[in-house]
Amino acid sequence: MSFLSLMGVEFKKIRRSKIFWILLIPVIMMWVPSIINADMNFDLRGIPITPENNFFIQGFMGMVWFMIPASLVICTVLISQTERSNRGILKMLSLPIPAAKLCFAKFTVLLMLAAAQMVMSIGAYSICAAIVTRMQDYNFILEPLYVCKTVCGIYAAAIPMAAVYWAISVLIRSPIFSVGVGLASIVPSVLMINTKIWFAYPMSYPFYLLMVAYGRAAQGVYETQIAWLPWLLAAVGITILALAVSCARYGAVERR
Amino acid sequence: MSLFIESKKLRRTGYIPAFLAGGFLAAAFPAAYMAVKAEEMTSLSGKPMDLLMSANWQMMAMLNILISICGACMMYHTEYADNGIQKMSVLPVRQESLFFGKFVIAFLGLSAMVIMEMAALAGCAKYWFPDDVFSFTEILKTAGFQMVVALPTVMIMLVIASACKNMWVSLGIGVICVFTFSILPQDNTVLSLFPFASPYQMFSEATENGRTVLFLAVCGIETVAFGIGEVIYLKVRRCFE
Repeated sequence: MSFLSLMGVEFKKIRRSKIFWILLIPVIMMWVPSIINADMNFDLRGIPITPENNFFIQGFMGMVWFMIPASLVICTVLISQTERSNRGILKMLSLPIPAAKLCFAKFTVLLMLAAAQMVMSIGAYSICAAIVTRMQDYNFILEPLYVCKTVCGIYAAAIPMAAVYWAISVLIRSPIFSVGVGLASIVPSVLMINTKIWFAYPMSYPFYLLMVAYGRAAQGVYETQIAWLPWLLAAVGITILALAVSCARYGAVERR
Repeated sequence: MSLFIESKKLRRTGYIPAFLAGGFLAAAFPAAYMAVKAEEMTSLSGKPMDLLMSANWQMMAMLNILISICGACMMYHTEYADNGIQKMSVLPVRQESLFFGKFVIAFLGLSAMVIMEMAALAGCAKYWFPDDVFSFTEILKTAGFQMVVALPTVMIMLVIASACKNMWVSLGIGVICVFTFSILPQDNTVLSLFPFASPYQMFSEATENGRTVLFLAVCGIETVAFGIGEVIYLKVRRCFE
């Protein structure tokens, strides 16, 4: 079975899961307060930032800090629990497909779901920026290339986190622990970002990138340069380790 | 009786260890915070308990809510995953008593977390502010207040979990609610009375603004209302099943 057809199978499994709505609603919700309080963007409180940049970054702040990790956790629950009922996973594992390949296909589906949410958030941003531009008579629309670049960077930074969550959900069978660990790991990311070892904590990567974008848009708020060197190594290492562990351990409990 | 059955169901799901672990993690926040920022904090004026609460409570409350959401989803997931709820509905057990049994357990789990957190806060206050007068009743009052303001969240989350057959849907709804209330303006009194927003309220702030009674009353009413709503929902659902 080729990898593509395996992914097609995985997508078919989640077709009726309503996951699309769960990914879409927060994307819309995050812009509602921004539209209502659009005039607050002109009250900069002494931070040297333009209102349109302020609108973009404040809007994405909650999303990047909380909703991206939380959506990833929900998606891992979805992918691992759809097959639990009626022991679907046992049937998948009895097919002549390597378990590691199956595991990797599921991880790719997880990444695709996150990508879908990112695309939706760019769409929602564009629509809301257009609405606010009309309401306030001020151009809130940033250059599309800049927006896409920033959001793509955030998405790429979320991949190590996704790999870690996936490994957790494979390794820990009881959903309360895998979900609890996932959700609980979101909370300290605000603290971690201000420490020197932030690069060892994958849950803070997307937030770090947004903070760097904030620092570039407003001088003196945060660093303007991305500290590539320890970060890239740590991120690649964590991703490979998490994926290797999850591929090796996938289905181990069921095959016992 | 139903309480006993419910607690037995949770035996191998890791429910109690999860709450204890959550409590430990939340209890570690003030200690870690004080370890890093001890000089800044000890130079501030005010009651040590209030200082510690205002520095850490947002994160601790968020952790409480997230673990409660997890627990609520888990409790109904064990029922739905292998059609256990169908078997339960055949037994001479009322669905409502099932629900309220789960609610009592969820409340006990939350209380355990809050008590651990309060103990950690009191310990930090005692360690880093040695010359302060230690008031036990004040801590008990704070713990009680924080438990009551978190009640509506626990109740509505159980209602959501009981309504959704799939765990990711109830989890998704819960997380979206947390997210929505975290980005709404925090200083609005009406908004802060809603479930998912009320657990962030602090006892010291509420006493300062004279809103303690308001919060306790509204949260109590909300909890009862959601409980009644669940009873009605179960009755209606039975007609369509």
